Amino acid sequence: MDKYDDQHIKELLLKAETQHKGFELLVKQYSEQLYWQVRRIVMTHEDANDVLQNAFIKAWNGLETFHGDAKIFTWISRIAINESIDFVRRQKNLSIVSADDEDAHVANTLMADEYFDGNETEALLQEAIASLPEVQRTVFTLRYFDEMKYSEMSQRLKTSEGSLKASYHIAVKKISEFFKSHD
Amino acid sequence: MEEKYLIEKVGRENPFRVPEGYFDTLTSQIMAKVEAEGVEARDIKTGKEKRAKTVWLRPVLYAAASVCALFISVVAYQSYSDQGVAAPAQNVVANNQMMMDSYFDEAADYVMLDNQDIYACLSSDY
Repeated sequence: MDKYDDQHIKELLLKAETQHKGFELLVKQYSEQLYWQVRRIVMTHEDANDVLQNAFIKAWNGLETFHGDAKIFTWISRIAINESIDFVRRQKNLSIVSADDEDAHVANTLMADEYFDGNETEALLQEAIASLPEVQRTVFTLRYFDEMKYSEMSQRLKTSEGSLKASYHIAVKKISEFFKSHD
Repeated sequence: MEEKYLIEKVGRENPFRVPEGYFDTLTSQIMAKVEAEGVEARDIKTGKEKRAKTVWLRPVLYAAASVCALFISVVAYQSYSDQGVAAPAQNVVANNQMMMDSYFDEAADYVMLDNQDIYACLSSDY
């Protein structure tokens, strides 16, 4: 449940003299929820923490892009999701450059991670998610774990509902095949 | 249905954890970072705007500098010309000098002194 009234936060954000206070309330209101969205995409706590902080810095520097008629959470969530997708893309490029097949180690790395509490099957699910292309990976986590509606996801990712549905079904199919091949 | 298969096999539980007390300090952590890096980035942005204004003003500044240079040239030329005007004044001074010399000669004639008397007078002890 929201701790602060969104309308009040909006009003504070739109005035230069109250912007800082408004932003602080926004962080208090949504940082935890955003953290989990980001964490499911980037997987490790350290990466999620970095990506989340960068997302808030971008939001602060781009406050002029926030329009009073938009939903605050939709706006900030879009920034955080884009930041997560960029991060995953950079990581993939780095692993291509270093010729390191990172995806193959995801399950083992997670099982050794002190901030991963899942079993082996859950670690394998994360490994299967990590093997997906960035956008499919994002669509899958938002739909599967957050059970986000396609209409809402469409606003965040600026993609049509039809292509989001297609992405999700392809992702589910790939992950199912991954598990079947491991059985 | 593939989704049902996944839900039955893995479930939707969140397997991730965070360090203890992480969310208690998250807002202050983020705000500290925003104040440090965000404000700096905004300053850089403002600096860029200032630079942009300077670039826009550059032709005006060049024009102003040209006008100043022209003004200084005109003043210098006038000052030089004034020196030209001063030349007749020097002639006047020279004329005055000549008049004084002729007056002196007349005075010397009047007291019946010639140059030798004057030299003797100037070199004498009295």
